[in-house]
Amino acid sequence: MVSVALCMLFLPLLSALVTLLFLRKNGSFASLLSVCTSGAILIMALSLIFDRNADTLAWDTTWFQLGGWELRFGFLIDAPCRLLLFVVAFVGFLIHVFSLGYMGDDSARPRYFGGLSIFMFSMLGITLADNLIMIFVFWELVGFSSYLLIAHYFKTDESANASRKAFIVNRIGDFGFLIGIILTYWVYGTVNLNELADLADFSPSLATTTLCLLLACGFIGKSAQFPLHVWLPDAMAGPTPVSALIHAATMVAAGVYLLIRIDFLFTEDALGLIAFMGGLMGLYAGFCALVQRDIKKILAYSTLSQLGYMAAAFGMGAPGLALFHLTTHAFFKALMFLGSGSVIYACHHEQDIFKYGGLRKRMPLTAITFLIGVFAISGVNFFSGYFSKDAILLWAYNFNLPVFILLYAGAILTSIYMFRLYFVSFEGESRSEYAQGAKENSILMTGPLILLGILSIFGGYFSIYPIELGSFLRADLSISDALPNHMWMVVLGTIAWVVGLLFSRLTYSRVSNSDPLSKGLPAFFEICQSRLFFDEIYHFFISKIYDPFCRFLEVMELLFVSGLMVRGSAGLAALLSILSKLGYSGRMHTYVFWFLLGTVGFLIYSSGLINQ
Amino acid sequence: MLTITPYHFLILSILLVGVGFLGLLIRRNILLMLMSLELMLNGINIALITFSRVGNNLDGSIFVFFIMTVAAAEVAVGLALLVALFKKRRSVLSDDMALLKN
Repeated sequence: MVSVALCMLFLPLLSALVTLLFLRKNGSFASLLSVCTSGAILIMALSLIFDRNADTLAWDTTWFQLGGWELRFGFLIDAPCRLLLFVVAFVGFLIHVFSLGYMGDDSARPRYFGGLSIFMFSMLGITLADNLIMIFVFWELVGFSSYLLIAHYFKTDESANASRKAFIVNRIGDFGFLIGIILTYWVYGTVNLNELADLADFSPSLATTTLCLLLACGFIGKSAQFPLHVWLPDAMAGPTPVSALIHAATMVAAGVYLLIRIDFLFTEDALGLIAFMGGLMGLYAGFCALVQRDIKKILAYSTLSQLGYMAAAFGMGAPGLALFHLTTHAFFKALMFLGSGSVIYACHHEQDIFKYGGLRKRMPLTAITFLIGVFAISGVNFFSGYFSKDAILLWAYNFNLPVFILLYAGAILTSIYMFRLYFVSFEGESRSEYAQGAKENSILMTGPLILLGILSIFGGYFSIYPIELGSFLRADLSISDALPNHMWMVVLGTIAWVVGLLFSRLTYSRVSNSDPLSKGLPAFFEICQSRLFFDEIYHFFISKIYDPFCRFLEVMELLFVSGLMVRGSAGLAALLSILSKLGYSGRMHTYVFWFLLGTVGFLIYSSGLINQ
Repeated sequence: MLTITPYHFLILSILLVGVGFLGLLIRRNILLMLMSLELMLNGINIALITFSRVGNNLDGSIFVFFIMTVAAAEVAVGLALLVALFKKRRSVLSDDMALLKN
């Protein structure tokens, strides 16, 4: 089985390499190769998941040695890993297929599909890795592939800037993560997840809040949580399938997965903080999503908000629920992103929802699958989001009321902005010629939508999950099943989505080219639109505080390091050489004179006169 | 009547070396400079002979033989170089030979 895992991990890298070396001009072959690769990954992943021989597969070998210290390279395939492996391989495959249609007329297909393959490689690496350093390496690699793919349309300033922003903001989080890893090694003496789990079990006193918060920095950067959430909405400048795969279903969820992998290291304080921040994020992103016009940005903020739910679930001590929501979210969010991709493709890359309208009649399959996604994320009863989100809400209701209030408000907002998106885009009259001319896309694009739609409906019935996938969820879900106030929560959840549906139906069913909220509640609209000025604050910090500080450092460096020390020492040598060059006249007599002087000097020295 | 002591010989030798060195410093003619060098060597020879005599051994005298041999060889080579130089440059003044600079 280890060889299968190795094969699965390195196959996409090989495919990217072949694309890079031989297929740079041949888009069709490159895309076919990449899709075949992801299909092979899916098959191998399934064979790994349903391997009956082992419950947990742990294997490692020496990667390299530095003196007495060695870095291990290994796999830890346990229950959460199997579930994420399934999500990554399955959603990844569907998105590859979708990309065939979506990127069909793109001139840079080899670069795009090569990037996707590199991403699959790095994401599988994170999923399988059995130690923190290996996770970090692949962590950086997903950051790189995300950079590569956001910058696919690099000729526009928007995506060039967005890719840099994503990369740099992620670096900030990863810096904390790296320090956290070093600190972990310092404290525990190992970075292997299994050994860490044993050690943490054996001596709980070693765990410190600093350490786990530093490790959580990685999660904050990658999962775009407060205060590093600013990169994700901008990252929507990339191609839509990329947003679906990387910025909704898998990579941003890797942050949550990391937390689940190391949950034994966390202290109560850190967990409480993460839960609260998650709840806050769920609410904040909801407000932001409410006033966006760009279909992908709405989905991006909704991703932020759902990641907040996962963080909150994890923080309240239910990693199983977090992973469950991660799974269902991956299905319905990938579905909605691909649905938006389908709409964008049909409307000639128009992304403003107020320029759509009436698409349900023209693109029925897309509209129906999208509606399923909206139902799922809003928590409409018996769709997948209902099970995962309401389990989190119920858990919060019983264990952490402040977080529950945040999350419940977030849930109402979620259904409002999601139904708003649906009503404005798919119902009413078409408001632009693109929307009037929109046609349903080919099976390459609708096929993945239908499959994901089915999963978005049934992904919540975790009892139909095979034991190999569901075993990690079972513990937390059965606790949550047994919690009190279950019926009450069903009522509350239903109220949340019904309120959202009615509000949106009344407000947004008959819109023209502007948002009704901007006239109805201008102050509220402005505040939401400003996104609480995070970008402006960061911009101010960088241009007014950080840049001057850097310039100050630069001047100091010029003055002292390169001026005084580097130039200075060279200047001293030059001065000495200029002085001694004066004695070089080319005349014999000068040298005779120097010789005399030297002899006299030597005589004086040897006679001992100086010492007295 | 003054007795001649080894000190007198040493003073003579220092004088000879000094005169030779002075000549080396102030003369511009290379022929004369070579002669000054010879003078210095002979001044040293006198000193060595004196030491040999005072110390009652032959070390100094043997050294002198070596120096005289080397000096003879040096003069032969030096004069030959000088003649060759004169043939080429039509001058034996050291000022005309500051060609290494620049």
